[in-house]
Amino acid sequence: MIREIQFTLNGEVVALTCDPLKRLLDVLREDFGLTGTKEACGEGECGACSVLKDGKIITTCMVPMGAVHGCEIMTIEGLRETQRGRVIIEAFADGGAVQCGFCIPGMVIAAESLLEEHPEPTEEQIRLGISGNLCRCTGYDLIVESIRLAAQRGKGLW
Amino acid sequence: MVETCYIPKDLAEALRVRKETGAKPIAGGTDLMVVHRRGTGIVPRFPWPVMIITQLQELKGIHEEDGKISIYSGSTCHEIEASELVPYQVRKAASLMGAQSLRNLATIGGNVCNASPKGDLPVPLIMLDARVELISATGVRQLLLDDFITGPKTTALQDDELLSRIIIPKPEQPFTYLWYRKIGTRRANAISKLSMCAAVTLDLSGNIIDFRSANGASGPKVARSRSVEELIIGTSVDTLPDILPRVLDAYDGILSPHAMPQYRRSSTRRMLAYFLTEVGKRPAEQIIQ
Repeated sequence: MIREIQFTLNGEVVALTCDPLKRLLDVLREDFGLTGTKEACGEGECGACSVLKDGKIITTCMVPMGAVHGCEIMTIEGLRETQRGRVIIEAFADGGAVQCGFCIPGMVIAAESLLEEHPEPTEEQIRLGISGNLCRCTGYDLIVESIRLAAQRGKGLW
Repeated sequence: MVETCYIPKDLAEALRVRKETGAKPIAGGTDLMVVHRRGTGIVPRFPWPVMIITQLQELKGIHEEDGKISIYSGSTCHEIEASELVPYQVRKAASLMGAQSLRNLATIGGNVCNASPKGDLPVPLIMLDARVELISATGVRQLLLDDFITGPKTTALQDDELLSRIIIPKPEQPFTYLWYRKIGTRRANAISKLSMCAAVTLDLSGNIIDFRSANGASGPKVARSRSVEELIIGTSVDTLPDILPRVLDAYDGILSPHAMPQYRRSSTRRMLAYFLTEVGKRPAEQIIQ
């Protein structure tokens, strides 16, 4: 039986003993102080709590800690330290993708996950890639444009 | 100490825990974690002991074995939609389930064992005569998925069993035409209002030698009727317009939608009529859009 949950968090191996049903979202925000990962709906509809699990986007409000054992988790705090993360974040800033900003950590994670799969995405692919992330401010168009900008500027990174 | 949540390290340990405690499995968590959530910073509470099985390597993978496709129960929707081995309609259904972030978590085992009348994967799987393999500390058994799902949210899974894999047989001859349709609202995360799939096999002279169709969200479980299928099997594709009204009436008889029955019945009629009309045109493409 696994008692101590070990995983890689933003490149560092970490371990903790907690209720295996505690949500990854709460562990990131409360135990590790990584508050870039947001909670909005709490039921996997909005994408605000997105992180990368083994390189793929997931919503952390649905993930019990027991299911994280042995996985690689990267949050927005880890992604922003990478070259890819910096390219996306700068493109979001320059492209005017951010208004209130609450959805943006999740949007940046979605952009990274999308560009990993489609380094030169079409508009349709971009819109599908962020279709699990809700934004109440922008109307999405500038976010789509900014992801396209990130793909151009970061050519070769993905 | 009586534990409320176990994290077994391998399948053997999981089966032992299951037998000794009856702990219920949780894999992707996309349904159960939401149903039992209690709010920010509070650990979800389940009314029964739970066993996390996400990490079990023995339940991962999609393989071809003896001409049949085995999808192990821990396979995610994303892995299924990406696999070339998986039949078209199952891939299509998986690809339309929620957003990317959900498809990276949700498993076929969870979707099947949840046995929701609106579940997306059982619809094409039942159409394809898929079987389930159930494993326990004392043995293995297989049964038809159509028999495994006994009603809304109920299955034939015993307290000491886990679903290990779904086995999809190949049809005797490859299907000539395939079709899948899901009606939902938002592109991401839409729960099916209706889902339907159908397949037809024609011989060289245009006789229908196989026809199947199945409906989701149209009754307590996936609707499929072999007696309705037999109305079409053996006829010529050219006579489809003549028998269409009779087929549509018979198919309507197998539906028992709970909510919005008129909408679900009339939409299903139109979808089945569309598929059979398209088949009647004998298009060059195998997949009817």
